[in-house]
Amino acid sequence: MKMIVHDLEEAGEISWLREFGAGQDVIGSEDAVIRHCTGCFGCWTRTPGTCVLKDEYRHLGARLAVCDEMILISRCTYGGYSPFVCNVMNRTLSYVLPYFRTLEGQTHHQPRYEQAIRLTACFYGENMTEKECGTARSLVRANALNLGAERFEVSFYDNVRQLKEALA
Amino acid sequence: MKIAMINGSPKGGATNSGFLLDKLRPLLPREAEISTYRVGPKALKEEDYDELYRTDILVLSFPLYFDAVPSHLLRMMTEMEQRRPVDESQRTIRVYAMVNNGFFEGDQCKLAVNIVENWCERCGFHFGTAFGHGAGEMFSSLGNVPVGSGPLKNLGFALEHLVHSIRSGEHAEPFFTQPKFPRFLWQLSSTRLFWHGAAKKNGLKPKDLRRRPGIPPIRLSPPENDVKR
Repeated sequence: MKMIVHDLEEAGEISWLREFGAGQDVIGSEDAVIRHCTGCFGCWTRTPGTCVLKDEYRHLGARLAVCDEMILISRCTYGGYSPFVCNVMNRTLSYVLPYFRTLEGQTHHQPRYEQAIRLTACFYGENMTEKECGTARSLVRANALNLGAERFEVSFYDNVRQLKEALA
Repeated sequence: MKIAMINGSPKGGATNSGFLLDKLRPLLPREAEISTYRVGPKALKEEDYDELYRTDILVLSFPLYFDAVPSHLLRMMTEMEQRRPVDESQRTIRVYAMVNNGFFEGDQCKLAVNIVENWCERCGFHFGTAFGHGAGEMFSSLGNVPVGSGPLKNLGFALEHLVHSIRSGEHAEPFFTQPKFPRFLWQLSSTRLFWHGAAKKNGLKPKDLRRRPGIPPIRLSPPENDVKR
């Protein structure tokens, strides 16, 4: 199964997404109001593996653990994800453990689960600069490393139409 | 000179981002008119954005989330871009950033700094400089240590770097550092004291922190034809 996190409500592309995401765990901003991560570490030290914020997004770590791929569809925002997609990423903290390990000479989190996902990020937006694309590529790579992903892919599209054609 | 200091930590009470702002404040020019803002899960008010656009210098202090800017602060940044005054004669705002992260290495803050730089370009702000400091969770236990000595020696250099750019108005390359403290000792103390200590306070044992909660009910996206219109 795939977890598809998107901000396409803002782009008015929900009907296409229903077809593309049929049978998958699709997470969009129209589903429910998402609260911001408060950095309390409760998902590590109070209710390990589950966020303490009581909303629809509290089980994201466990939901991701039954997926083999996480697909992020996001407007490129200063070389990162849009606020909603970023919010969902922040709320998946329980997917990893608080403990550390060293990878490529740097500290990262230990995995909570044995399985490894593929991380695919599709950025769209008009007039993305080279610098923003470079930041976005590095960001997805860094996220993949920290989530223990087995591999990652990053792609860029000038608009949602191009993105839809590429994913079709 | 008007300086707006933004604490971008979503936590209530004392924060590591606030710790950095507290250490910066006495080093700023005496004549500066300083105002502080807290950007957490609660959004800024309309008048706050107007005030931010009337400032000369903006200092963002925030924790690193997923190698980037946390979502609540990112939302404020996008709001600020959308509210950019149409008046081209607006003053040029210089932006500075202090990023703290929970890992040891300060250079893991590099991408968050890049995002701030890209935001500045979109908004027409001047990016002054930034620093990233690792092991931010250590700050709370170092409240009595003078900046520039012991584990906070490198923080002294980082603040000096930022303040020099603020005073001179010159752009400087970002600076990344970590506490002057052995990494293996930091890792050991974070596990034994910080994580296991927090678990104990919550009535949990260290092995409980490795729990794998059961699969929650997932509402899978229905095929397009099944969707009621």
